[in-house]
Amino acid sequence: MMRSVLAMATGTILLALLAAGPVAAQDKPPLTVGAIYVGSVNDYGYNRSMKDGLEEMKKNIPGLKLIEAENVPETAESERVMEGMIQQGAKLIFATSFGHQQFAFNLAKTHPDVYFEHAGGWMQAPNFGNFFGATQSAWYPMGVAAGKMTKTNTLGFVVGVPIGYAIGNVNAFEMGARSVNPKAETRVVVTGGWSDKAKEAAAANALMDQGADVVTMHVDSPATIIQAAESREKYSIGFQSIEARQLAPKYWITGLGFTWGPFMTETAKSVMNGTFKPAMVREGLGQMMAVAPFGAGVSPDVQKLVTASADQVEHGFNPFTGPVTDNAGAVRIPAGQSWGGEKMGDFDWYVEGVIGKAK
Amino acid sequence: MNFALAVGVVAGSILSGTSLLYATLGELVGERAGIVNLGLEGLMLIGAASGFAATALTGSPYLGIAAAAAAGVSVNLIFAYLVVTRHANQLATGLALMFFGIGLSALIGRPFVGALITGLPRLAVPGLEPGSVGARLLSYDVLVYLAVPAALATWWLIFRTRWGLGLRTVGENPAAAFAAGLRPQSLQYQALMFAGAFGGIAGAHMSLALTLTWDEGMTAGRGFIAIALVIFAKWNPLLAVVGALLFGGAEGLQLQLQAAGADVSPFIMNMTPYLLTLLVLILWGWRRQFAAPAMLGRSFVGVE
Repeated sequence: MMRSVLAMATGTILLALLAAGPVAAQDKPPLTVGAIYVGSVNDYGYNRSMKDGLEEMKKNIPGLKLIEAENVPETAESERVMEGMIQQGAKLIFATSFGHQQFAFNLAKTHPDVYFEHAGGWMQAPNFGNFFGATQSAWYPMGVAAGKMTKTNTLGFVVGVPIGYAIGNVNAFEMGARSVNPKAETRVVVTGGWSDKAKEAAAANALMDQGADVVTMHVDSPATIIQAAESREKYSIGFQSIEARQLAPKYWITGLGFTWGPFMTETAKSVMNGTFKPAMVREGLGQMMAVAPFGAGVSPDVQKLVTASADQVEHGFNPFTGPVTDNAGAVRIPAGQSWGGEKMGDFDWYVEGVIGKAK
Repeated sequence: MNFALAVGVVAGSILSGTSLLYATLGELVGERAGIVNLGLEGLMLIGAASGFAATALTGSPYLGIAAAAAAGVSVNLIFAYLVVTRHANQLATGLALMFFGIGLSALIGRPFVGALITGLPRLAVPGLEPGSVGARLLSYDVLVYLAVPAALATWWLIFRTRWGLGLRTVGENPAAAFAAGLRPQSLQYQALMFAGAFGGIAGAHMSLALTLTWDEGMTAGRGFIAIALVIFAKWNPLLAVVGALLFGGAEGLQLQLQAAGADVSPFIMNMTPYLLTLLVLILWGWRRQFAAPAMLGRSFVGVE
């Protein structure tokens, strides 16, 4: 509650600043793009990945003007912030957090000449599209890395909120680990929120107490968990932004990061050319996702295995191909079937080898 | 219950109980002087942010602790001016202070989001093998080692010194204290400065020893748990140690149980600390052994 009150206050200040800002007297930019973030762009996590993508777009299109607002809450406040950006001439808006969807959609209806791209949602309109990384299968090579590096055969996974997509990430991770190490187990701890740092530190410690020597996570910012692992000399695998490797100079293995730049550049160009087409874009490794550089302690053999696995996923390998058994022994994906696309939101079970309860 | 689980719960409750204990001790001293400060959450946030900022700037976490304590004292001086000198309503002022703290800490912390710091070093008992159970149980930062001595010292101050006697008198009956030649308002200022320093240190322990990052609103309600702990502790610093460990442990326990693979839904697990809070309040209410200072929450406006 307090977070949102605070975020609302910050958002209001930002809006006031936007409204009061002097009108630039320079040449008219080819395109003005607005972007709203739910948190700070220095989080080594999700918001940083969005910021990096937008910066890449800005670099690719000379003269493009980017208006940004951080800490924009997932409330009606976000609608006012985006409205302010439109008044400043924004013709394309990236609403980067899941909860911004409805508010961006409202504006799409009242501003048919402004284009919107929302991260993670499903709504569609002639001027409203969606994009997100297909994260689940991309977690498979992370599991390969973890399965190779562990000595205790115990991997730890901190999950913020156990939504289907997050459970899918854990499942692919464990299946990847098992593919190279049949004894590997993944223990899961749920903190109940996407950003409660003190609890994340305690959760990482709990996993290490139970023998985990590789720790990874699906929360907004990996910073606290990676540092907790580093301080106990345990390996970590990052998620969200590939820049997180700076946090663990010794025990970083690798990580999974979003690479939004090419998509954002293409979208901006399509708006400039008048060829914008709304779509629900979900891309995995090679497009919207990338494997982070390896840490110093990862042997060339392991690096080769992980890279090969990532390559397979990039070229169509789907880990969720039956038979897949859950951790209670029931077959959930029968032989001959496979799960993909929107099915990824449907996980309410963990695969064999995961220690944890999904609901 | 496996051994690793037991070790983890003990170490975890000590780590997360420490900031709760400092915050509780500070609030307790203020309440002994008759002042309830609902702004503790904001105070802790300011401590966490300024401690982190000072550490990022100077490279020394110990200077970070000092900065957090100083920031806490300054903020509580504002609070003291309002409730002691200007006789403002304590509850309303406290809530205002909380929102002030949320905003100010965000402002202080903003340039330091994503900064990398070297946190408070773990001072291990010598001779323990790294990674062993002993090392997990006996290597903490300096604030952890000082927490129980701080509780003992607070107890001694309140119950064994003339200053403490004056403080308690002010909390029970400021008119009598005034008649006895004490200066109630001065004592309340002193108590709130003490509370500010401890509240600031409580926040600093979170950002400098636990999370090693600054995040807006990162205390996540722990300031309010500390206010509840003062009631739990019946305004006694020694009982506060028990309470802080218990509540620190409740959070640690559920995360440890999940890691150990307990067959319980994570949604129920995450409710345990709050269920425990409710349980304690129900039990305490039922026993009716309140020891609240008589003048708690009321202004002393002098005598005719």
